[in-house]
Amino acid sequence: MKILIVEDEQELLQSMVSFLKGSGMTCDMATNLNDAVEKIDMSDYDCIVLDIGLPDGSGLKLIEELQKKDHQTGVVIVSARNSLEDRLTGLNIGADDYVTKPFYMPELVARIKSVFRRRSFQGQNEIIHNELKVIPDEMLMYVHEKLISLTKKEHELLLYFLSNSNKVLTKESIAEHLWGDHADMADSFDFIYSHIKNLRKKITDNGGKDYLKSIYGVGYKFSNE
Amino acid sequence: MKLLNVTNRYYIAIALALLLISSAFLSYRVFDLLDNEISEHMLFEKMEIEKQLSAQRDIQGINFVIGDKIEIEPLEKFTTFRVSLVDTIKFDPYEDAVVPYRRLSYEQLIGEDSYRITLWKRLSETEGLFSGVAFTLLLVAIDIIACFYFLNRWFSKRVWKPFYRALSGLKHFDLHKGERISFQRSEIEEFNTLNVELSKLTDKVARDYQNLREFTENMSHETQTPLAIIRSKLELLVQSEKLDSEQLGHIKSALDSVNRLSKMNKSLILLTRIENDQYNIAEALNFSQLIRRHLDKFDLFISSRELQLKLNLEENVWIKINPNLADILLSNLLSNAIKYNTIHGELKIDLTSSQLKISNSGAPLTIEGDQIFERFKKGDQPDSVGLGLAIVKKVCDHCSCDIHYTYRDDRHVFTIEFPVEKVIDEEEA
Repeated sequence: MKILIVEDEQELLQSMVSFLKGSGMTCDMATNLNDAVEKIDMSDYDCIVLDIGLPDGSGLKLIEELQKKDHQTGVVIVSARNSLEDRLTGLNIGADDYVTKPFYMPELVARIKSVFRRRSFQGQNEIIHNELKVIPDEMLMYVHEKLISLTKKEHELLLYFLSNSNKVLTKESIAEHLWGDHADMADSFDFIYSHIKNLRKKITDNGGKDYLKSIYGVGYKFSNE
Repeated sequence: MKLLNVTNRYYIAIALALLLISSAFLSYRVFDLLDNEISEHMLFEKMEIEKQLSAQRDIQGINFVIGDKIEIEPLEKFTTFRVSLVDTIKFDPYEDAVVPYRRLSYEQLIGEDSYRITLWKRLSETEGLFSGVAFTLLLVAIDIIACFYFLNRWFSKRVWKPFYRALSGLKHFDLHKGERISFQRSEIEEFNTLNVELSKLTDKVARDYQNLREFTENMSHETQTPLAIIRSKLELLVQSEKLDSEQLGHIKSALDSVNRLSKMNKSLILLTRIENDQYNIAEALNFSQLIRRHLDKFDLFISSRELQLKLNLEENVWIKINPNLADILLSNLLSNAIKYNTIHGELKIDLTSSQLKISNSGAPLTIEGDQIFERFKKGDQPDSVGLGLAIVKKVCDHCSCDIHYTYRDDRHVFTIEFPVEKVIDEEEA
């Protein structure tokens, strides 16, 4: 997957590049609007991660440039402004998704992958992880081709893990992915624990491997082996 | 008490006191003068009688030409030259009463014989005079005080007019609106000085407030990026395979703190946005439905705490409010009521067209009831950022809804009163 990251904050840019590369993506970088426009002229990207507040103009202009070319690039907006209007303008003008700073890296990866899936297969694809197969738009999972139903949260959780396999996901990032603004409800970590327990049981009871590893109270990891 | 009444009160008190003292003094002086006049008059009469008597050999054929009562009684022998002048009382057969008299008596030799001569003078006229004087004085006093009162009112109103105008300007001064107060020039120098100083002061307050607001806003915005960087670096770090559990523990603490900071930041930005009136477009919302929708989102948290949900919602309550603000309000209040509930506790929501009441079980607060809406007041809840209820209060202020908190029967109760103009009939909606 080829990604263009447009972000004027060097350090954040470096972090994103490292993390996305670690998730098996190829990354190009641009720190301003001009660079970004040049880059999209020169090559095609699967997805652009776009900061709106750029030193030489609004990132929304890049989306307009992109529309002139007829291609399949997804856009995930990254913005420090959490206002609804910004979000709506961004989505109306052709962005696929929107995350607010400060965001969790695995969340960004999950969004990019989801945008990519929607764009390339119209959502009709499957995610395969060894003996597991998940259909993103249905709350279903196959273990060794055996159909198993999942609850909504289990399904969201599994997709999040599969988008970030072999990465440590902090509990906070999982909570925010599942519950958004309500992630800070005092006992949501217990829910994560019980969802993970149920998910693990559904996989192992049906002959799947125990992929879900707990990482010392920091979070969880969905391993590749 | 009003300024006019205070000055009037003092003026009237002083005027009354002065009038009382001066009338007492005046009456005393008049009475005293009169009294002396009577005595002098009697002594003069005595001289007249002496003169007339000394021309006589005996008392036969004496005809006195003074109108008062004279008694002449013969004495054995002449004893003294002393003249006695005393006030006494005497029965008056005409009035059939005892009345005050002044008596002057002396002894005089007429020819060879001694006589005691006594003059009587009625005093009651002087008392009538006294009360007459007092009454007149009282009338004068009432006149003066009434004039004083009305004149003072009239003058004061004229003179203090710029002051009252400035006062009403201050009363309507609202920092949030960012308007300046315009003071009118007056002919009184002190008021002009006051107005100038007030203008300076309010301008400074407005400027400081604006600066503070911008500072909070910029600060929250500018910290977002460093926070995002710190978090991203920590997330990268946590991916490392080489970390032991102790190192992971440190990273976790750092991550937790970054999360707290960023939550705080988000809340502060939200508060600033509400203050900056960025949520000003209101539309009619069905609050009954909105509450149900929000409760759905909290379903899991309600059931996990095994809360007893008691809903008492009047259907189709339409409120004119900004949708974002309504979401912020309900979401904060409900999460608050769930988070700080006890296990198996009660969550009760009552909605009528005039008020929304959300109550939850819980131990009493360690902070004063009305401090609950202040920023960063969080009682003994160390995990909380302490801005949720400040945001709720800000939203209510912004929508001119009244919110208050009470603790009754082991329950925390938040009541929001909807102002009449915000409640909309179903047909209109």
